[in-house]
This record gives sequence, C-alpha cells and structure tokens, in this order.
Amino acid sequence: MSETFGVDPLITETADRLFSQICDHESIQNAEANGEAAEIWNAFAETGFPWISIGEEFGGSGGTLLEALEVLRLVGYHAAPIPAAETGVLGGWLLASSGQQLPEGVVTVLPNGSEDLLVTRNGDHLTLTGRGLRVPWARAAEIIVVPIQVEEQTFAATVDPGDCQITPMTNMAGEPRDTVDFNQVKAFAAPLPSDVNLQTFRFRGALSRTALMAGAIEKMSQLTVSYTNDRVQFGRPVAKFQAVQQHLVWGAQDAALARMAAETAGREANRGDGAFEIASAKLIANQAAARATKACHQAHGAMGMTQEYPLHHLSRRLWSWRKEYGGDAEWGEWLGRIAISQGADGLYPLITGGSAALT
Amino acid sequence: MSDLTEDQIRSALESILERRTADTRLTTMGAGSDDLEAGRRYLADTVAEGWHVPTWPAEYGGRKASSSQNALIGSILREFIVPDLYPFAIGLGMVGPALLAHGNSSQQEKWLKAIASGTSIWCQMFSEPEAGSDLANVALQAKLDGDEWVVEGQKTWTSRAMWADWAICLARTDPAQPKHKGLTMFAMPMAIPGVEIRPLMQMNRDAHFSEVFVEGARLSDEWRIGDVGEGWRVAMTVLAHERAGGGSRGGGDGSTRGAHIPTWISDLQALPTPHNAIWDDAVMGLYSHDAVSRWTMQRASDEARSSGSPGPAGSGAKLRTVKSYKGRAYLANQSSGAYGMLQDGHGYIELMTAPSMSIRGGTDEIQRNILGERVLGLPGEPRLDRDVPWKESRRGLI
Repeated sequence: MSETFGVDPLITETADRLFSQICDHESIQNAEANGEAAEIWNAFAETGFPWISIGEEFGGSGGTLLEALEVLRLVGYHAAPIPAAETGVLGGWLLASSGQQLPEGVVTVLPNGSEDLLVTRNGDHLTLTGRGLRVPWARAAEIIVVPIQVEEQTFAATVDPGDCQITPMTNMAGEPRDTVDFNQVKAFAAPLPSDVNLQTFRFRGALSRTALMAGAIEKMSQLTVSYTNDRVQFGRPVAKFQAVQQHLVWGAQDAALARMAAETAGREANRGDGAFEIASAKLIANQAAARATKACHQAHGAMGMTQEYPLHHLSRRLWSWRKEYGGDAEWGEWLGRIAISQGADGLYPLITGGSAALT
Repeated sequence: MSDLTEDQIRSALESILERRTADTRLTTMGAGSDDLEAGRRYLADTVAEGWHVPTWPAEYGGRKASSSQNALIGSILREFIVPDLYPFAIGLGMVGPALLAHGNSSQQEKWLKAIASGTSIWCQMFSEPEAGSDLANVALQAKLDGDEWVVEGQKTWTSRAMWADWAICLARTDPAQPKHKGLTMFAMPMAIPGVEIRPLMQMNRDAHFSEVFVEGARLSDEWRIGDVGEGWRVAMTVLAHERAGGGSRGGGDGSTRGAHIPTWISDLQALPTPHNAIWDDAVMGLYSHDAVSRWTMQRASDEARSSGSPGPAGSGAKLRTVKSYKGRAYLANQSSGAYGMLQDGHGYIELMTAPSMSIRGGTDEIQRNILGERVLGLPGEPRLDRDVPWKESRRGLI
C-alpha cells in the first residue's frame, strides 16, 4: 500500500492490518444480514481510530484531519461496515467544535441537518419535530447530532436516539440508513463557531465520502487485476486480451484519479477552506465510481455478480456513497456557478490555484 | 395457412388477451419475480392457434407462418399484455429453434408442443467454471455405456434450473479431439438420479442462477440432439438464437403502440428530480436509442427466421438492447437523487441487475468479436488451441 502525503505510515499500516484481520468477506456479509457489526466496531474503537482529529480534551484521540481521512480511505478499501465517518470527522467534529464531550460509543448525524425539521426554542433547549431520512446507523447510535441553523447562528444539537422513533432502512450496500422521526424531541444545543455551518458541514460530508470512495475504487481495481490474471479462457489469462486490458486501465485510472482528488481535497481542507477542491473531488469520485464499477464488473464477468465473490461489497457501497452529500448534479452545479462567477480570465487561475484563488 | 390481415390478427388476440395500457408494468428478465403461472396461462391460451411461436409447424404449437406474418403478429402482440416469459424463454427462443434445425422427428414431437404450451420448462446447461466466454472448453463428460450415456461434471450460471423439467446440455464425448470437435449435445431430464441443483445468490438477491452437479446421471441415446461430435454446431444454433433475442418476446419495457409514453419515462417523470434540459436530453437520447434497438432486434430476428439461421446481426442487436437497459437503469437511479441509494429506491433491482446484462448470454466483448470477424472481416483472435487435443489444451497453453 503506497504512502499518503502528510500521514504517518504507521497509521496506514496499523489500520490496514486491523481491517485485514477483522473485516473479511464473511463478516461483511454477516453485517449486512444482521444490520450491525458490533465486533468490527469494537475492535476498531479499541484502537482509538474513530476519534482521530478530535482533540483529547473532548474525548478524541488527537491527530490531524489528514490522518482521519486516511483511516476513512482504508474503511472504504476494506468495505468495513461501520459508522467511522459519522462518529469522527462528522458527528465528533460538530460536538468538539461546539465544546461538547464525545460519548464512548457510536455518534451519527442528520445528513441534511435541520433542513427536514421544525425547530422551536424553549429557554436553553430546542424542540425538534419532523423526519430525518437516510441517517447512517441511527439504530446503533448513542447520540444523534443535528446541525441546526437559527438565523445567523449554527448550533450542534444533540438528541438521545431513545427519544426518537427509528425505522431501520438500508442503503444499496445493506448498511443502515435509518428513518428517524422526531416528535417534539428535546435537544441540547451548543453554538458552533462561525466557520462551522450547514454549508461547511455539507462539504465535510462530501470530503468524508470522497475518502471512502477513493479506497473502495482502489480495492476494486486491484481485485479486478488479480482476478483477470487468474482466470484462464481461450488458453490464456483473460488479462492478456486487449479488450479486457481496456477495462483494467479504466479501473486503475479511476482509482488513481479518485485518490489524487481525495488527497488534494483533504490537504486543502486540513490547511483551511478547500471548498473548491472538495466539490471537485466529490464530483470526480462520483464519476470515477460510475466508470470504474462498470469496467470492473465487466472484466469479472458473471463471477462479479455473485454474492459469494466480494466485488459487490465495493460496487454497491460506491453506488450509495456517490449519492450521499451531493450527487453529480449538485456539485456540478456548484462548480459551474463558481467558474462562471470568476469570469473567463479567472478560470485558469481557479483551476491552478483552487480555493486559494477564490476571494 | 393463408395470410391474415392486421385486423383479423388483432381481433383473434383480443378474444384471448387483455390490452396493454400506458400504465402496464412488466418485469424484466425474471428479476424480482417468481411467477410461473401468468406465463403458463398465457402460453396455454395462445398455443391452440399458434400465436406465440407462429413460424413453428401447427402440430408443434405454431401456425407455419411466413416471416412477414410472423413479424406482423409480433408487432400486434405488443399491444397486449404478454407476461414476463423469462421462465420459458430458453425453450421457446432457443431450444425450440435448435430442435427444429437439429432434432429428429420423434424428438420434435416429444418436446416442441410441450414447450409451446408452457407445460415444460427448459434450461441451458452450457457454461462451466472453466468454460464461460470460452464455451468450447466444457469438461462435463458423457461416456457411452451400452446404449446409455453416463454423465459426470459441473455446470454453472444455469438460469432457471430450479424450475426446469429438461436441460439442453453440452457435453464432452471425446477428449482426444480438439476442443470444438469432441462435443455432443443432449437433452437431460432434471429430475433423474445424479443431478443436483444448487442456487447461486446474485448481488441483486436473485437466485435464478444455479450450479448443477452431475454425478453418474444416465441419459438415453434417444435424448442425443444431433450426431456425436456435432455438439458445437448445435450449440452455435442455440447461441445465435439467444443473441437474436429469440425468447424475449413478451415482458420488456412496456413500450406500446401509438403515442403512449413508455412507462419507464412516465416513472421517471414522477420522480421529484428537477427536469431540466440536460435531463430531457438524456431521456430523449435513450428513447431514440431504445426505438432503434427494438427495430434492430426485430430485423435480426426477422432475418434469422427467413434465412432459418440467425447471423451476426443478433450480436449487434444484443449490444444495443443491453445499452438501452443499462441506460434506463442508470438514468432512473440518477434521477432519483439521494433516495436512490436505498434498497427501496426507484429502480433498485434494475440497477443491481444492470452490470449483468452485458455479461449474460455472451459478453459485449464476445459479441464485438463476432461482429469484428464476421461483419467487418477483421483478423481473428489467434486460436492457439485449434488443432490441439482438448485434454492437452484445457488448462491453457500460455
């Protein structure tokens, strides 16, 4: 596994080794059948990995956002069925940013924040009513975090899942994406600093998915190269046929492209804003996922369509992740607006300078 | 039989079938459906006058129709509700025509009418773990023992095996011959001792594919289709009919005659996604592609019927039809926004099925090879194993 810029290789090695041990084909299949993977989560939590990039004073493990994204890349690479992003760089980030302590267990977030809810203020508490859709692992969460905007101020509201009605739903990959109904639910709300708001949360969500997707595409490409070298037809490994090699090239290109985009976005986000890089990276990852899943499935032939072969763990996750925190249309439109607003003379500086060129 | 007019066909069909409307929803390729009865009823209702397989002889469930009559009947049938005939498709579209071409008269008598009337379901035991795209590499062996053949080996990707009464089974009868030459085709009853079926679960949760293990099953020589050593020729007939879409009449995308908007478009319109110019362009592109695919498919199957043997046009038709199916599945998923990531999202089954369309029934790569070599006259792939005994070439020569 190649090194990732700005990340201690020890983190890459340790996380990769851990997932190789606890996250095999059978345990992923079981997680899908049971709607949870407590053993995988516990082993993962034991190492402190879920809380990298969260300050120790809030119950986190310390470290940088780049390191947290590296762990997410490996979660994607191993198709680990756990709420790593929700607990750390999304929910954990909102909690710590608003000065709240992290719980010991799973944290999840409402992907659309308060957009789907009616919020009323009662003294120092908020009351939430409405329905949150496609909430990752709500059924297993100790706390649900809801980013809420009231006038100019954004709050991180925390809700006890026990106060909500949770209907289990699953994404295409069989991971929990539950429906959460709030009926006059009381929430404690702590104000967030001005640079953490619903928009930056949306970008943060996209960044987390980009890291997961980069890992999954890379693994998918590797599986495909190895399968086509083993599979013999017409007297030679099918990887010797140019028509098959074309698919392998698509898979490898898209893996490299998605990882490059994810790392660039992570680096810029770690440095400060990174909005342009994150939007670009999510769009690139979405498109790479669409191309690479086609190419890798095609090169695998019928074997790739079976439950017993692991390709579907990756392709189904990719098809789900590319829709979370913004599909092609949303980020394409955002980037289009930015590009247009820079004018013709601003386009090249935008492409070469990225977010830094936006003032 | 003398030719019927369009109105005569329509009124005859009207008395036995229900008309399709803009709202008619039909499943595709068996995914998500296990219903054998609707197809069985339809075939039982249409067999007496030979509406479903019009070109077959009347005594076998057809009406000895000319190819132009057949095309006309086919297009009028699209106005009616024809259930998903996925379970019956191998018999109707592939085994039937192969029996007409290669079977003897007692075999035709024994099997064709039962296929046309829906009383017997067939599956196709061709692919094996080491013989997919390279079908001629099959290893399942049949050895003559007295006047019976004893069969040993394994097949895979056998769709419909769990429903089937019979299989058309490609077996190796002479391992000392080069791979294409030592093959023989058999009909095999699925319920005899020594045949075991294990379902294979697909990523779309469909379990219509199976592995079939055969251990010492005994086949009567009367069930051999074509001469010993002629199995590849029979297999080519079966596959050519598969590409030409032989069995696919019925089911499908719900496209109807006249000005109706196809159901896949009205379903898309109902989704809460912004319908802008880009979306319109994608839908229109698919609609046109779809229409041309349908005509290509029709031309391929008409050509096949009039010449008696399907040609490479079927490969072109298959490539186009697959592109249509995948395009519709991807667009539906894209149009459903974040909701489309859930298992109960719109078009979930179709999306999970989409990758398999360009794999099953001969991959896109195999179809393009056929077109390249047989239509464009491009140089063939090097065939290293052409004159080598199969028992030496089977594990690969490089």
